[in-house]
Order: sequence, then structure tokens, then C-alpha cells
Amino acid sequence: MRWLIGALVAMCLAGCEPGEEAPQGFAGLGQSFDPQSAGVDFAQPGPGDHIELPRDLGPHPRYRIEWWYLTANLTTADGDPLGLQWTQFRQGLKPHAPDAKTPPPESWPLQSVWMAHAAVSRPNDHHFSERLARGGIGHAGATASPFSVWLDDWSLTASEDGDWQLHVKTDDWGYDLTLSQRGDAVRHGDQGFSAKSASGEGSMYFSYVDLTIRGTVTVNGETLDVQGSGWFDREWSSQFLRSDQQGWDWMALQLESGERIMAFRLREDEGAFLAGTWISAFGEVVPLSGDDFTLQPLEQATFDTGTVPSRWRLTIPSRDVDIEVDTMAGNFWNTGLYPYWESPVRVSGSHSGRGYLELTGYAE
Amino acid sequence: MTGRRLWLASVSHYRRHPLQLVALLLILVLATALWSGVWDLTRQARQSLQQGTGLLEGLQEIRRQDGAPVTVADFVTLRRAGVCVLPWLEVTPASGQGRVIGIDPLSLGCFAEGGQSGLPQRMQGGPFEDIGRAIESSPNTPATAGFRLMAPTAVTDLPSGYRNVPAEPRLATGELADSFLLNLDALCVLVLLITGLLIRSIYLLGLSQRRASTQLLTRFGVPARRLHRMRLVELAVISLLGAVPGTVLGLLMAQVFAQGFGRVLSGLFDVTLVGNAITWMACLPIPVMIGLVLAWCSFDGREDDTGRRRRGDRGRLAAVILLLGIVGLILANTLVLVFAALALVFLGVGLLTPALLARGLDAAARHTAKPLRLWSVRELSVMIRRLGLPVVALQFAAATVIAIQALVGTFETTFYEWLDQRLQGDVYLELREPADLPRVEGALSGLESVAQRYTVQRDRAELTQPQPVSVDLLALPSDSSLLHHWTFLSAVSDPWSQLDRGQVMVNEQLARRLGLATGDRLSYRIAGQAYQATVAAVYADYGRPSGELLVAASSLPAAFRSAFTSVTVALAEGATPADLRAALADALPGVGLELRDTASVRGLATRIFEQTFLLTRAISMLTLVLAGVSLLVLGWVFFGTRRWYFHLLRVWGVGRRALRWRISGLSVAVTLMACLAALPLGVLLTWVLVARINPLAFGWSLPMAVYPLFWLQLVVVAGVIGLIIAWLIQRRLDERPPEPVTVGQLQGAER
Repeated sequence: MRWLIGALVAMCLAGCEPGEEAPQGFAGLGQSFDPQSAGVDFAQPGPGDHIELPRDLGPHPRYRIEWWYLTANLTTADGDPLGLQWTQFRQGLKPHAPDAKTPPPESWPLQSVWMAHAAVSRPNDHHFSERLARGGIGHAGATASPFSVWLDDWSLTASEDGDWQLHVKTDDWGYDLTLSQRGDAVRHGDQGFSAKSASGEGSMYFSYVDLTIRGTVTVNGETLDVQGSGWFDREWSSQFLRSDQQGWDWMALQLESGERIMAFRLREDEGAFLAGTWISAFGEVVPLSGDDFTLQPLEQATFDTGTVPSRWRLTIPSRDVDIEVDTMAGNFWNTGLYPYWESPVRVSGSHSGRGYLELTGYAE
Repeated sequence: MTGRRLWLASVSHYRRHPLQLVALLLILVLATALWSGVWDLTRQARQSLQQGTGLLEGLQEIRRQDGAPVTVADFVTLRRAGVCVLPWLEVTPASGQGRVIGIDPLSLGCFAEGGQSGLPQRMQGGPFEDIGRAIESSPNTPATAGFRLMAPTAVTDLPSGYRNVPAEPRLATGELADSFLLNLDALCVLVLLITGLLIRSIYLLGLSQRRASTQLLTRFGVPARRLHRMRLVELAVISLLGAVPGTVLGLLMAQVFAQGFGRVLSGLFDVTLVGNAITWMACLPIPVMIGLVLAWCSFDGREDDTGRRRRGDRGRLAAVILLLGIVGLILANTLVLVFAALALVFLGVGLLTPALLARGLDAAARHTAKPLRLWSVRELSVMIRRLGLPVVALQFAAATVIAIQALVGTFETTFYEWLDQRLQGDVYLELREPADLPRVEGALSGLESVAQRYTVQRDRAELTQPQPVSVDLLALPSDSSLLHHWTFLSAVSDPWSQLDRGQVMVNEQLARRLGLATGDRLSYRIAGQAYQATVAAVYADYGRPSGELLVAASSLPAAFRSAFTSVTVALAEGATPADLRAALADALPGVGLELRDTASVRGLATRIFEQTFLLTRAISMLTLVLAGVSLLVLGWVFFGTRRWYFHLLRVWGVGRRALRWRISGLSVAVTLMACLAALPLGVLLTWVLVARINPLAFGWSLPMAVYPLFWLQLVVVAGVIGLIIAWLIQRRLDERPPEPVTVGQLQGAER
């Protein structure tokens, strides 16, 4: 699950007036919308909606926000850990009816804004880059079949043999990776509808939780051969958060025992909303509610951008899970339009393993 | 004596002579208003200009190798190849408010990485807008026209089919626009000079009138230095009282003129006038005016004494200055040097005129036997010497008006002739999509209402020889009889046939810039194809600064895509534009056509050109009014000092009626002499404007013409001013007899 960050900023770039109401929740994800106002007709997912593949790998212009998200825990040829993130977001500015005529690219329509994030993380070494583009002209976009998501020359594209190719290049660093899927898509929540509050806000959400990754990462002037495993998320919605939810703490963990865990905590004015998914080594998917697990911060780390909980305790009593999730040393703030924390983590305790931690709403 | 009483005694002069104070204030207000107004406009224009060229500084433009205009698809291709490019679309919104540059703010991020970290900041506000909005604001502009792709730096690994060129304004007009503004500023400096002369002369007269009271105060023990300081303070206060409302008036004037002026700048130089807030810079005229008045007037006394002692030297010096100025005018090759030389000419003429006129009158007096006529001539000589400054001011003002009238008049005549030549036919069809041309031509050829027609296509071409420069391209059919009435500045025989054989024509701007003449060879590229050709003709192309290459439409390469296409149609006997419009609507449904009759195009062009000279004309007329009013005031005051002598004439038996005639003759003679002295200076100034300044400021020259009928009008105006002075004097003569006043008193001699 992630934000939607730049879209509101992008809207402002495109000309909203200063002094307009500040976005609610982190990056405006708690911004409410009225489907009936001014003829606006964004769809909102709900229980009973289902996920269909490969269709849902492609874009959903009837929904306001969506993203394609990959994190990877890799190892270099020298055995050093290396974390990696690539995310692409779409924010619809105007709803797109299925039968509506697409405006010609020559008119430079501004119906949607795309944003891509990429990061490479090693102990005490973090590189982050952000790109923006307008939709509707081909500068950025996504297709379901063949699967492709792109913005500028950054792209995640299915090759003929079914593997995915991920290419990211900035002036200083970049990566070229091949991703192979192991296992089916995991549908979170109720057949893919992932509730984000007790009052019904939520999103459609599925993941590929076990990707095999190999390729090269160029960083600090060195091109490194890397391999490891990754986690890919697809999520879309029109209203993601409730307006009183300030941010979330999210983690995706790959345990050495073969089990996979996704858990998140949405921080509310009073208390928090918790949900998650437990996936067995054999692919059994069990949704977790707030009653099924606990998630507690154990230690804080302070940086210029903000103070974040850097060590966590996660327990799932019904699965005998009692683990500590710890970030590696370093500052892993992604300082883009909306700063957030994104770091590889180590798992210890009842189980060991690795994964990724994302923290939003902590920037000062 | 207390300070307060001393002040009251000192300024009581203005209670006795309120008109003098009014005249001083009026001149100050008008001159400051004029100057600050024009200064504010040129300042805004310079900022806009700087912004316009500054924005492109360091940027690279990515073009297609095949010469075709770039499109959105090229933008996407390049971005997806990892090239940092920004869409850049220059449009003029339908609202007519300046030019807008449409960009995609979302694509700007990589510019900071690409070494143009300041660019995203530069593109906040100002002429920049989201490209989608820019397109919406100008629905009639084809989206491909004016569309460019900008990169932060030269791209070394461009995909094949693309190339880098340093980004330049579509029209490289920076220097010309700057010269145009310099022209206006120079005109204002001339106004300031004339103002200075007027204020100084009024102040000098006032000082002479106050000589007695000043001497009285000195005898009462007030130190001369204190009196001098008081005069300075008094002058500063008067200047402030005139300069503050003048500046406010000027800024208001600038606001009123801004739209028209902006349109002129945008039409002539492709510069969008960006309105800016009033800053302290806009108030600069106030201290400058005060400083000018203080320096000019406090300099008076000493200058007068030494000047008298060295009158002979000054005459020789003035002659040398004048000569230097004239030589400078002939040799100067930059606008600044021309203005400097012109300033020398004005200085020389200003110093020489009163002396020469007076000397001429003295010589005439020696050959006059009749006593009364001798008196008149001598009196006139004294007046010319004493009224030297206002006479010179009137002379300068009249010369400026003569020159500007000649410039504008010549321009109008030449421009209308040129417009008639260009606006052949009755109807002008502009195609929104140049690609529709074959359909439009097909439809036109089948219409009975069309007698003749020719197609105009425009785009850009690149000269490679004699020097690499991007120019406008105009493609015309060489065989249209509608075009054969063109007159050329220079041409080989039968230039249209030569055009058909592959020769080209160039406009005057390009010819001047590159030193091209008929018969010269040049090399150029159109849509990627290289050509070599000989210049068959040079044609006048008024009102815009860009260089233009004219080629035969038949010689265009297959890859050529016109950025602008129109068809000029001569209607058949009895057909009307409305008939054609209806016929085309039937024949070409869905084709975007803008149909205008040539009369409305002529109207539009005329309006733009009238606005170009509106400000110039306003400045010159206001200057004349200033000078006229000042001469009126000064003449009246000065004649007042001569009333004793006029009265003596009555005593000696000259009849009242005869005396009236004599006085009228004297005052009309003074103003006429100033006006006549302005004629040669006006003609010289005309020549400087059309033959020296205009080519440097606008890029094209005009034929020299003089307008004697206008001179006659000016002489009549001068005569009327003279008659008004005479009428005022006669009214005062009828009052109580005056006390004798000597010339010495007026010059400040001991009483």
C-alpha cells in the first residue's frame, strides 16, 4: 500500500490556486471525494469486488489513485545486502468514463498525473530519484497485456518469455533487473478488497510475494551483479484513507521458513487500524485483522527529515510468530515531494528473514 | 531678520509673478510626466526583453534531422529514450494579451539534474503557463506552429533522426528591439534637454526680476551665501512639487499606453510586455529631475558672466562642436554614437543660433536708414539675445516635430504603397491545417467566383552561407500575375522569371544584416535539403525585424511542411467575399479556413503601425506645446521689461495703432525666426532619423522626404504664438506707464 504522493502537487503545478485547502492525511490520500459533485464519477472499490488477471495489472482510469510497487532484498556477488525499490503511481485528475473519447495528445490533456520513484539502499548509503509525467500523451502509462509500466526511460515490462524486465537509470545510478514470478498472485483482504478503516475506506490490493530477481545495479560508479527476492504490489482506489488517518506503518516480510507476512497499521487520531495477510510456505492465504496480531514500535531513530520507529515487534499468536523487525544502519528517507521512509529490514526472533518497511506521515 | 520673514520676502516674488510659478510647475509636471511615462514603458519592455532572451539562455533545442516540425510523438520518443526534453509552445492567446509560453511543468524535473537547476524557478509565472492551457487559450493556432523541444544541455547520445541546436528566440530581435527602446529614450532625453532650457530661461528671468529685492536683503545684512542656499532650497521645493505629480501622471500615462505599446512590441519585435509592479525605480525621475534643475539653475550666474566675456570664443567653440557633430553623424555606425553626434549638433546649433541671428540683425541694422525700422531691428536683436534660451528651445522642439512628422509621414506613404503591393486580391484564406492545401486548391479551381489566386507558404529556412543563421521562409508561385506588381529595392531584370529558375529574393532586413545585394550567392537548407542560389531581388518588408528568404513554391522539397499557409484570391467580376465563403462552406465541409477580406487585413496592419508611432507623435507634440507655452510666458515677461521703450515711442509720436503693429511685428518676428531656424535643423534631424537611426533601430530604411506644407503649418503656429504675446503686451501697455528697466538690470548688473 502506498500513497499517491505527487498527484496533488502535480495538480498545483498545473495551476491550482495558493490558499486552497491543504490535503488531508498523508499526501492527501485521506482527501474525500464526492462522486456526484460537478459530474465527477470516480468509482470506489468495496467488498464483493474481485480481481481479474492479467486485466488488473493494467491501469484503472475509473479510479482516482493506483500504483505498481516493487521492493527487493538483494545480495551482491560479495555477499553484501542491497535493497531496492521501484514504484509508479497514477492519479486521475478527471474521471474517465469507459465510453469517453480520449483527447488527442496534441491538446496536451491533463487528465492524469504519473509519478515514479526509484531507490537503492545499502547500509549507510541511500539513493532516491523521482520523476513526474502527464498521462494521455504516451510519456508515462501502463498496459496489462503485454504488461508494461513506464515513465520516461524507466520501465517494468514483460518480455516474451514471461519474465519482467525492470530498467531504471538516473545520472548517477540505476539498475537493470530480470524478475521471475514464483507462485500466484496473493489477493489481500476480502478477495482483494483491503479495508483501510472500520468505516469502509479501502482499496483493491494484490501482490506477487515471491519474485526471483537477478541483474545489475550501478551505484557509486560501480556496476554490481545482484540476485535475491522481491515483492510486487498492485493497488487501486479512489478514497484510500479516512481523513483522520495521518499515515501508515507497512511491512512485507519474507521469512526463511517460506512464510510471507504483510502487515500494516494506519495511525488514527485515537488508536490505529491494523490489518495484514499471512501466507504459508505452500501458498495458503490468511487475512489478518487487528485482533489477530500486534505491531509495536520498540526504538526510534531521529534524522533531519523526521523521527521514525526503526525497530518493531510483530506477534501473530495463532501462527507462533514473535519477531523483531530491524532496519539496517542508515538514513532511508525518500525525500521527494512527500517524504517517507522506505528501508530494507532484517527479521529475528521466532523466525528469521528479511523484507521491507515503509513509514509515512513522520516527516516534520 | 527672522528666518520666516526672510523666506516670505524671498518667495514673495512668486506672489507678484504667479504666472511664472505656474509656468515652472507646468513645465516640470509635463516634462517629468512625459519622461517618467516613457521611461517606465521602456524599462518594462527591457525587462520583458531580457526575460524573453534570458529564458532561452544555455538551452538547447532538439530538432528533427529531416527538418519536419517536432510533435508530441517526438517528445515522447525522446523522453522514453532517456533524453531530458521539455515541450515549449509559444502562442498568442485569443484574448490578445501578450505572448504565452506553454510548457509541461511535470517534465521539468530532469532540468535540475541536467545542469539547469535555476530553470524551474525561472519558469514560475511570467509568460509561462501549462501547455494544455496555452493551447486552450489560442484555439486558432495550429498546435504544430511554434512548438519546440528544449533540452538543458547539448545531448551527446541523441537517438538517430534528431540533432541539437542552441536555442534562440524565434526572431533574433534583441538588438533591434533594444535600439527601438533606445530611440524612445533618446527622444525623452531631448525633451529633458528642452525642458532644461525652458526652466533655466524662466528661472533666469525670475532671478533678474528679483535682483533688486536680493540686493536689498544683502544690504540688510543677509549673507549672499545664505541667499544662495535659500534659492537652492526654493528650487528643490519647486522641482519636488512639479516632479512628484509629474511622475504619478507619467506612471498613469504608462498604464494607459502599456497595452498599445505592448502590442507594438509584440508585433514588431516578438517581445511580450510583461507588466511589472511599480518599484522605487519608477520614482527615479523625481530625484533626477530635482538634481537636473538644481544643477542647471545654480550654474546660471557664473556661466552668464564668463559667457559674456568670451562670446567670441564661444562662437568658435560652437562652430567646432557643430562640425564635429555633423562628421559624427556621417561616420557613426552604432545607435549610441549617432545619438552622441546628434547631441553635439544640438549643442552647437543651440549655442550658435541666437548669436548668428543677432549678428545677422545687427548687420541688417547697419543697412537700415529709417529710424523706426532701425529701432525695430535693433530691438529684435536684443530680444533674440535675451530670449536666446527659449528661442533655442522652441527651435529644438519645432525641429523635432518637423523630423518626426517627416518620418511618420514618409513611413505612412511608403507603408501604404507596400501594403497595396502585398495585399493583392480581394480575399485572404488562412488554412488552419496546412495539410489541407491540396483540397482547398482543388475546390478553389472549380469555383466561378475565383478569378485568380496564389498560395503563400511560410516556415523557417537555415542559411549556411554567407553565415549560418535561421531565417523566415516565404514560398510564393513565381508565375502569378498578381505578384508581378511588386517593386523592389534592387533587382535583376525580370526577377520573377529568375525566381522560377532557382534564384531567390531576400528582404531588406536580411540584406542589411548579411550585407547581401542582388547577384550575391547564398546557400541554405529547407527541410533538410541543401540549396545554392543567387539573390535576384531585395524587397522592402516593413514592420518586422526578421530576415526572410523568398523562394519559388515549385522549388520546395517534398519533405517541406508549411507552418503557415494562406491563399490570396482575386474575385471574379461581381462576386463578393460572402459568395466565396458560402461556396467554400459547401465545397469543403470540415476544413478549418479563416476567410478575411484584404480591406480588414489592411485595417489591422494600419492600426498596428499607427500605434507604433502614437507615442513618438505624442512626445513630439507635447514638446512643441511645452516650448510654445514657455515662449509665451517668457515673451510676455520679457516684453513687459521693454514696455518703457514702447512707451517712449508713443511719447515720440508714434501712433497707438502703429505701435501695436510694430510690437506685433516684433513678437511675431521672434517666434518666426525661432521657427525658421528650426527648419534646417528639422531637415537634418529627418535625414538622421530615416537614413541613420531607422536602419539601426528597425532594420529598414525609408526614402527621405520633406513636407513643406507641414512647415507652413508650423510657421503659422509660431506666428499665432507671436500674436498672442503681442496681444498680451498691448493689454499691459494700456495700463499705467511702466518704470524704466535697463537691460543691465535684467543681466544682474548693479543698480
